[in-house]
Amino acid sequence: MILAYTDRRKTTDMNTVRTIIAVAALLPLATIAQDRYATRTGHITFTSETPVELIVGENNKVTSVFDATSGAIQFDVLIKAFEFEKALLQEHFNENYMESNTFPKASFKGKMTGVTAEQLKTAGTYEVLVEGELTIHGVMKPVKAKGTLVVDAAGGIKASSDFTVKPEDHGITIPSVVRKSIAEEVQVKVRLDYTKM
Amino acid sequence: MRTRTIIAIVVLVAVIGGGLYGWTEYNRPVQGAEALAAKETIEAVDLLKAFQENEGAATVRFVGATEQAIQVNGTIRAIDQGDKGKVNVVLETGDALAGVVCEFASEDVPGDWKAGDTVSIKGICTGLLMDVLLQRCAAVE
Repeated sequence: MILAYTDRRKTTDMNTVRTIIAVAALLPLATIAQDRYATRTGHITFTSETPVELIVGENNKVTSVFDATSGAIQFDVLIKAFEFEKALLQEHFNENYMESNTFPKASFKGKMTGVTAEQLKTAGTYEVLVEGELTIHGVMKPVKAKGTLVVDAAGGIKASSDFTVKPEDHGITIPSVVRKSIAEEVQVKVRLDYTKM
Repeated sequence: MRTRTIIAIVVLVAVIGGGLYGWTEYNRPVQGAEALAAKETIEAVDLLKAFQENEGAATVRFVGATEQAIQVNGTIRAIDQGDKGKVNVVLETGDALAGVVCEFASEDVPGDWKAGDTVSIKGICTGLLMDVLLQRCAAVE
């Protein structure tokens, strides 16, 4: 009887230990799931403005994931999904400059600092700094930009950041004949409307 | 005198014609998929599968080197209002985390379409992110 009781007690203890281990293992996942935000319909607009020509390309199918706990942020964009008002500009953008058949995607992978996951549980506006690696045309360059996060009452986050990119930094060659039509620094606007994953 | 006049007229016509062609070409608007013949027709389930199995090969096949349209048949999972007058019709793929997203100008989406309907859509495939994306789409009757 005593042995049977001891065995039952051991079994109960083992079950308790297993339960604790299982909960401990799942807890970080639950935390991560709560603090991850994503979008599939983010916007990136680039503007090249010179006295000769104004060129605007828009992409509203940017995918991005943001982990508020670690600050890790990533976004990806299909180059052929950029849209222009004029077909000729769109063709030149894809064929002559971005070579989108060879380099179909651009991406950013980095970290956001200046705000904590705890702060993002409260509605408000937060100024942040984003640092990471921007890969365009197959060439990766480090970038650093200021950004803004606006948290709404429902817990959604609107992220925005404006920065400039030099085409030459990413191995994009601008022929001298059109040099005056394309800005040396292209203005980039990123707008990401995140929802919780 | 007569020869000179003819040459002058020919040069003038060439200059005006070239200028008009250049102006028209420079201002040529971006075409919707409606204006293009579909290169091939595929089910939404098979389109996603093709990208998931070999993204490089699927990009060559469905996105193409130059702009092309494909026709996708499938069941509507959802219709989402996008920004700037765009509507996203998401086709079912059997994968809850990925769909075939077809972007329409809002006026081009048939008003009676709803989730669960079986539809055919012609669009310009731009590749795979989380979903396979088609842009400038048109409903196929």
